[in-house]
Amino acid sequence: MKSLPIGFAALVALCHPAFAQDDAVAVRKALMDSVAASAAVSGGVMKGEIDYVPAIGKAAIEAINATAQSYGFFFPEGTDGETDSRSTASPKIWTDRAGFDAEIAKLQAAVGAAREAGGKDGPADAAAFAAAIEPVLGTCRSCHEGYRIKR
Amino acid sequence: MVGLRIAVGLALAVLVGGAAFYILTMPRGLPAATLAALPEGDASHGETVFWTGGCASCHAAPGAQGDDLLRLGGGLVIKSDFGDFVSPNISPHPEDGVGGWSPADFANAMQRGVSPDGRHYYPAFPYTSYIRMDPADVADLWAFLQTLPRVAGAQRGPDLAFPFNIRRGVGLWKLAFLTDAPAIAIDSAYTLALRGRYLVEGPGHCAECHTPRNRAGALDRSAWMAGAPNPDGEGRIPNITGGEGGIGAWSAGDVAYYLETGFTPDFDSVGGSMAAVQRNTAKLPGGDRNAIAAYLKLLPPQSSGSWGAAGP
Repeated sequence: MKSLPIGFAALVALCHPAFAQDDAVAVRKALMDSVAASAAVSGGVMKGEIDYVPAIGKAAIEAINATAQSYGFFFPEGTDGETDSRSTASPKIWTDRAGFDAEIAKLQAAVGAAREAGGKDGPADAAAFAAAIEPVLGTCRSCHEGYRIKR
Repeated sequence: MVGLRIAVGLALAVLVGGAAFYILTMPRGLPAATLAALPEGDASHGETVFWTGGCASCHAAPGAQGDDLLRLGGGLVIKSDFGDFVSPNISPHPEDGVGGWSPADFANAMQRGVSPDGRHYYPAFPYTSYIRMDPADVADLWAFLQTLPRVAGAQRGPDLAFPFNIRRGVGLWKLAFLTDAPAIAIDSAYTLALRGRYLVEGPGHCAECHTPRNRAGALDRSAWMAGAPNPDGEGRIPNITGGEGGIGAWSAGDVAYYLETGFTPDFDSVGGSMAAVQRNTAKLPGGDRNAIAAYLKLLPPQSSGSWGAAGP
């Protein structure tokens, strides 16, 4: 009888879904989705499809900043796209970590400048927002160029 | 006597076969009339042709940015199933580059894959697409190349396995696969899509990566733009038709916006080797991006699973 609770506990441990914070791939995908959503809002403003108010610009900038500050913490060993089929992370992130960190630093610097330009309330008008956000969005490409694989 | 007859017969067969191979595989340049009619090139329009063709992606130093994209010393190694190809120096350097060439030499190289000394180029150089270019655009491109910096240093030749190292064999390959016929039929009323077809199937040479290849390394026209294994190794080149796994959900405006800004309709950003291509398409006139989009929207839908056993 003694073995039953132990067996039960083992079963629970096996079946228990991993805590979200243990699943680095899921976390970083969620973070990147939030950046894509902010970029979509930014593109909508720049194309004139979304009427601009400063709160929109502030929300977009702050969401990207939150990702920029946290993203680099979610790349443990063994979560590259060739090991984990959900991921499109290039193995180069682990073989050239310094280069990858430099790309994240570029994003952090660009979004930091955008926050500063926007001040407490966010950029005042659509033109000011475009000027602040374009350098931020410009950093997506160079990182995706070297550190993402397409499937 | 029988032995002698067989020997003579064999010798004749070898001679005839050799002569046939020699004639069939002879490098042939552009028709004399085309070369004679080559216009004086316009370097400023040639710059647009240069970005449309993405010449810098292979002929500038790997990883080059900004003004370094105009230093065409070559040196990119393309690894293939046939061996390694090395992109040559096409800067106007008189010895190491193409500075000693005539405009006709350049046109023959671009549109027939024939070198100034009358040898075949391997089709890693996409003359298979450039054969569809307007010779006037080739002349403009030539004029633009003259304005670029001379870069010293010749590159080594290809390093290929037998029998692919027999350059003359490319002549047979050309007989089988080199054609200036368009891949996709488009009604003459669709002028925008026709312009797009010219850009995509000609100078842009998009199919060279986006279309899978057969065992001989030629594009499989039955799976035009269906996506293909990434020649760089990692991952895949996407399907850009409207079929399953492709870009059917993208409007023509979405395609043009992507080529201009690098953002997909979901605001994912361009990546991989397409990032360099998109830096080039961002430099094109807006009308040309719209034309490319119009052409892509007319492509017969292909399923991404239709190329190769590997599947998506």
